[in-house]
Amino acid sequence: MNPFFESNLLQTRRQFFGHSGLRLGGLGLTYAMGTDAFAAPKSQVHEPLPGLPHFAAKAKAVIYLHMNGGPSQLDTWDYKPGLQQWYDKDLPPSVQGGQRLTGMTSKQARFPVAPSLFKFSQHGQCGRWVSELLPHTAKHVDDIALIKTVHTNAINHDPACTFVMTGREVPGFASLGSWLSYGLGSVSNDLPAFVVLTPNWSAKAMAQALFTRMWSSGFLPSKFSGVALRAVGDPVLYMQNPEGVSPANRRAMLDTLSQMNAHSFEKFGDPEIQTRISQYEMAFRMQTSVPELVDLKQESQATLDMYGPEVLKPGSFAASAILARRLIERGTRVVQVLHRGWDQHGNLPADIRLQCRDTDQPIGALLTDLKQRGLLDSTLVIWGGEFGRTVYSQGGLSQTNYGRDHHPRNFCMWMAGGGIKGGTTYGESDDFSYNIATDPAHLNDINATTLHQCGIDHERLSYKFQGLDARLTGVERQKPIKEIIG
Amino acid sequence: MIRSAAILIALATFATAAEPLSFNRDIRPILSENCFACHGFDSKKREAELRLDTPEGAYTVKDGAFPIKPGDLAKSEVWQRIITSDEDDLMPPPKSHKKLTQKQKDTLKLWIEQGASYQKHWAFEKPVEKAGASIDSLLAERQTKDKLTFAEEAERETLIRRVSFTLTGLPPTLAEVDTFLKGQSYEAMVDQYMKSPRFGEEMARHWLDVARYADTHGLHLDNERSTWAYRDWVVKAFNENLPFDQFTVWQIAGDQLPNATPDQFTATGFSRCNVTTSEGGAIDEEYRHLYAVDRAATLTTAWLGLTGGCAQCHDHKYDPLTTAEFYSLYAFFYSGADPAMDKNISSTEPFLRLPTPEQQKSLDAAIAAENAALKALDDSAQKAAYVEKKTAEAQTITQVLFDDVFAPGMETKNTTRNASVWVNKPAYGAKSGQRVLRIANGQFSEENLTPQLTPVVLAESSRISVWARIDPLSPPRVLCLNINGRRLMWGDAEAFEGLTYFQENAITVGELPKPGVWTQLSVDPSAVLGFKPGTRLNTISLQQVGGVVMWDRLEVSGKTTTDKHALTSLTTWWKQVSGSKKNPSDVPAAELKTLMTAPDKVTDAKQREALRRFYIARVAQPISDEIAQRRSAWEAAKTIRAAADSAIPGTFVFRDAETPRETFIAMRGAYNKLGDKVEPTTPAAFHPLKKAGARATRLDLAKWLVAPENPMTARVTVNRFWQQVFGIGLVKTSHDFGSQGEPPSHPELLDDLAVRFQKNGWNVKALIKELLMTKAFKQASPVESSLLSLDPDNRLLARGPRIRLDAEQIRDNALFVSGLINLEMGGRGVRTYQPPNIWEPVGYGDSNTRYYLQDHGSALYRRSLYSFLKRTAPPPFMSNFDAPNREQSCTRRERSNTPMQALQLMNDVQHFEAARALAERVIAQGGPDDSVKLNWLFRTVLSRKPDAKETTMLNAALTKQRELYQKDPQAAEEAIFVGESTPKKSAAPAETAAWTLIANLVLNLDETVSRN
Repeated sequence: MNPFFESNLLQTRRQFFGHSGLRLGGLGLTYAMGTDAFAAPKSQVHEPLPGLPHFAAKAKAVIYLHMNGGPSQLDTWDYKPGLQQWYDKDLPPSVQGGQRLTGMTSKQARFPVAPSLFKFSQHGQCGRWVSELLPHTAKHVDDIALIKTVHTNAINHDPACTFVMTGREVPGFASLGSWLSYGLGSVSNDLPAFVVLTPNWSAKAMAQALFTRMWSSGFLPSKFSGVALRAVGDPVLYMQNPEGVSPANRRAMLDTLSQMNAHSFEKFGDPEIQTRISQYEMAFRMQTSVPELVDLKQESQATLDMYGPEVLKPGSFAASAILARRLIERGTRVVQVLHRGWDQHGNLPADIRLQCRDTDQPIGALLTDLKQRGLLDSTLVIWGGEFGRTVYSQGGLSQTNYGRDHHPRNFCMWMAGGGIKGGTTYGESDDFSYNIATDPAHLNDINATTLHQCGIDHERLSYKFQGLDARLTGVERQKPIKEIIG
Repeated sequence: MIRSAAILIALATFATAAEPLSFNRDIRPILSENCFACHGFDSKKREAELRLDTPEGAYTVKDGAFPIKPGDLAKSEVWQRIITSDEDDLMPPPKSHKKLTQKQKDTLKLWIEQGASYQKHWAFEKPVEKAGASIDSLLAERQTKDKLTFAEEAERETLIRRVSFTLTGLPPTLAEVDTFLKGQSYEAMVDQYMKSPRFGEEMARHWLDVARYADTHGLHLDNERSTWAYRDWVVKAFNENLPFDQFTVWQIAGDQLPNATPDQFTATGFSRCNVTTSEGGAIDEEYRHLYAVDRAATLTTAWLGLTGGCAQCHDHKYDPLTTAEFYSLYAFFYSGADPAMDKNISSTEPFLRLPTPEQQKSLDAAIAAENAALKALDDSAQKAAYVEKKTAEAQTITQVLFDDVFAPGMETKNTTRNASVWVNKPAYGAKSGQRVLRIANGQFSEENLTPQLTPVVLAESSRISVWARIDPLSPPRVLCLNINGRRLMWGDAEAFEGLTYFQENAITVGELPKPGVWTQLSVDPSAVLGFKPGTRLNTISLQQVGGVVMWDRLEVSGKTTTDKHALTSLTTWWKQVSGSKKNPSDVPAAELKTLMTAPDKVTDAKQREALRRFYIARVAQPISDEIAQRRSAWEAAKTIRAAADSAIPGTFVFRDAETPRETFIAMRGAYNKLGDKVEPTTPAAFHPLKKAGARATRLDLAKWLVAPENPMTARVTVNRFWQQVFGIGLVKTSHDFGSQGEPPSHPELLDDLAVRFQKNGWNVKALIKELLMTKAFKQASPVESSLLSLDPDNRLLARGPRIRLDAEQIRDNALFVSGLINLEMGGRGVRTYQPPNIWEPVGYGDSNTRYYLQDHGSALYRRSLYSFLKRTAPPPFMSNFDAPNREQSCTRRERSNTPMQALQLMNDVQHFEAARALAERVIAQGGPDDSVKLNWLFRTVLSRKPDAKETTMLNAALTKQRELYQKDPQAAEEAIFVGESTPKKSAAPAETAAWTLIANLVLNLDETVSRN
């Protein structure tokens, strides 16, 4: 289920297979004698696949900020000043081009253009235009590569969410984080290699669902699934001892358990028993390491302030952002933060304000924080949704209000850190942000880029599934976006 | 790492140098892995028009050269390309990232030298019986090649526990162990478990993974789906030993059997178990396509052992399944009668109600009684003299919106999107009549009432009242009456904070009523909300946040003169309704037409008279004792009918649309890029399909699957049962018997079992018993390191199978040995203990499976097979131990070994409560002293006595835990109250707590979570 800590597994197995001619019964002793044998392992807990990384990795860790529901590119990053004069005029059919629409607007009588209500201004050395909704992120534009022409295959949430994280529209395939932990292993002895956070959100509209398949291992072994770090209840499932069971009770129980399992190993000789012994010790260590991880009191006031007023509120996006940093500091390889509430079919201006208020300051702080600690160079930060939104208004359009339907043909994502060339822009959409004008970037190109930054040739990371070499980036020819790589 | 190395070792042992090469065993895997992607079956991807998967392709001269010239390496272009140093000519090409090992090259070289002979892929050859052989003899024959022999027989305690888990998913009881130790024969012991109803449950579990059965739709809202009758049928089919050919036919085409029985219909639920959506913008054609793909692919995997899903986009690269053939299989399902959008309801059609004969009889009788009661009422109304009157004085008139049934013409909807839930004759009694309305949800939920036929208009001194009874085990945070959109609350107003359902102007009226008693919530709407007399109540909604609440008798009363009230004045009623925009339900068409026309516009006396009678009978306050009596008789009859109706469960069934849909190849798998038209038929590589009519049916397909000529079904099936019993299949890739799958470890054994399974009438119990009776199964499982490195996966079975228990078995084991288990069978999925925030962070805003509402009492201890499985957030106790999420068919689970599992087994309330209950059993039944007690505990869990060393360790552990708890009595008190079952207090808290930790220890032993 979890992608971590195989250290003792490997160690014990190595010992096991290393001592040729080892007699049954000889090995158990060290394990039976006490717990010293389980001091934190020195080697990498779960090793990378042979031959990986394929080349030197720029990024050691990935923080993926997924804005679930499909944030509007028109109101955040894709500046279209020319649209003001198109207010409430019909989107020209030549632009619409007869492309498929969702069932929600395909029967709409008109497709009135809704220019963004939000002001854009230029930022940074690169002079990038950014919406007033994102003042904190805007300070980092020189570290950010913006991809304005991302496109996806799916037009509705369920398949699009599945696609953005697994490269397929249907369930059953492995998620990005699972691929990374499968390929690159884990460097943390006490924490999962792939952690998922699902913070609260503020938009009022009905929020779209998430699916555990967005972080599940699919056809990969289940230990590569993302582990949810939870804001309610135990941060990691079943981590706390039951009421009335003290660490002393637990330690005593575990000591005997180790001895008895070692005794069992003497009898059965099954190496799985040794793995189990080490997993219990790892579990015991997690009972300390996880509370330490989530204890934000160790952070300086200045750092906390930077993330904004909600940082100490469990389950807030701000708390998730700072936890993401703490996780990668402690060796977690992939942190996925999935923020819901971006599906703004109506009341977009009000809801997107709330969503940006949740996320903008913490994201700005995260980038600053990573940079200050020298972690940004080795941490790839990705921001994006499962698709974008239409330039035309769904439902009524007024001077102060509009909604936007799903738009998979072009939307914006950004990447920062981890060897990404800051201040660059890749691709341009047309004047209506409805079609790609130049340099399309398929979501699988984005995923190929992510793998590339982690030292992986996406064509060579595969897993035999249904008789085929399944890859994150699918069967079509995809490529990393060289133009944004530093 | 070790695992992949292990496969190499195992496979390497299959070919010994002395033997001549076999194409299927030695060559095909190399070609398949390295060459077939470009030089195989898929004509569209074929490079240089060269195919190497057939002898014709390999031997025929191309561009003046032989690709392969048997016996002649120098003239074989393929070989020359393999050994060339020229990167441009090298095969496989460097850009494919494929590379032959030296060993593979040597093998290919030898093969060409020996004559490069081809074989049809083994799985497409008809299996043959091996006369005179047995499972053990065939295994032994293979073992001798590696100088191996069977291990000695396992100890009897190990044997009975191994058999019991294999057949029932549960450990043996102490009594069963004792009987077996006292000399019961092994065969008798096996027979006894095969007869247990637990057998069907354990077998079903494995099949339900294949069938991708779950309790929710799986996509987008992932709402509840009511198709558990299918799950229960699978259990029943195994218990009744339904022959596997029928098991197949019923599931694929039960609906097409002559005079299909309810069971045969229920079985077709197999093809309805795929995930479905009802997402707002989703496009019908796309999903109709995806469902048929899933159904065809599942069938191909489950029966044919082929990964058919690949051919969805392109000709299969490795196996002879063209895209056209895949879509011909797909065509059997593309004409399904189910809609593309599941509507987010639990009863998406085709949905079949499944009454038992008694239930059907009751329902028929109830319908007849209801009709008779209505006729009697209408007859009385015919005779009744009604004159519209105006009383001088205002009198109190009470309008009932629901009691045992909703008032006629009431429109209702609720948060679940499903039918309202009524409880008939609850144990604590209804407040009024016999039925109560049940609302249950982990968070906000409501039952919304819109009176259409009889408008509700406030009179003077009005009151709105409803009875509520809070379930003491699941209290809500707040109860509300929402009237015309204004919310009145009893309880914690903050419950709404942060919810989409928050309302600014909500008013707190009172405290949350006391749980467990009926309380009337009653308000004066003019005092509280300022609603003036004459205000029409368009909607009244019963709302709550969290919990389980029973609601009864909602009424609105007020004082008015009779001429002004809809219940006492025909004209008033008629005017009010005819002004509505919407037609009320429950009105016959003729009367409806009259009713919806303003009273002064209807001149036809007959029409007026008919409406008058309708009014007197069904709407008006009874105008005579006779009508009053007949009205309540009618309502009672309606209640009985509704209760009889809702007692009948329903399930998803597969049916064909009336006219078959034209079916086309979806080019590259894209639903909107259609290629050639296809008709339903089976792949050409196999025996021909026998069609009963012009167009092939699913029944033809099902019969084809189980025809004697079919080389796959029996092999695939016996292999899956083998996997269940021995932990790993003869073909390890139990979903893939194609050339990319692993070849069988014992081809002759697989074939022999397959042929005899067919000959033996597809008798599942006989097959399983035969497997369990083998020497191979009965061996002791300890392994020496030399054997372990030779055969780490135990493919050669020179030792007994030792495997970690599955998720369900681990939980069921803890419940069983603790005595907590509830062995009730079947029914809607139960919601056992689940940590908070499993559903909530992921579920769609108003999904009816967003907020987990845990069950209480004995439901918590049902077998895991019956636990509610939400696909987008499955129960962690399942997924933590590798249970699939049932989003697609799964034929083989992994067995991972992780710290998360350790945490769960130590700390999950289900396991810790079980430890407490087990500790109490030890204290009460275990014997006079610690040693005897420890013995009893150990035997209860592991069926064997602890050895001296184990006894010493356990004794020391017990002493230590006692010491700790005696020092901390408060902690002991807490530890014994984990979980909802109450401790029996058979000993002092410290003593029970100490034993609880010992039970927790024993339940965490590797041996406990393994089948040894």
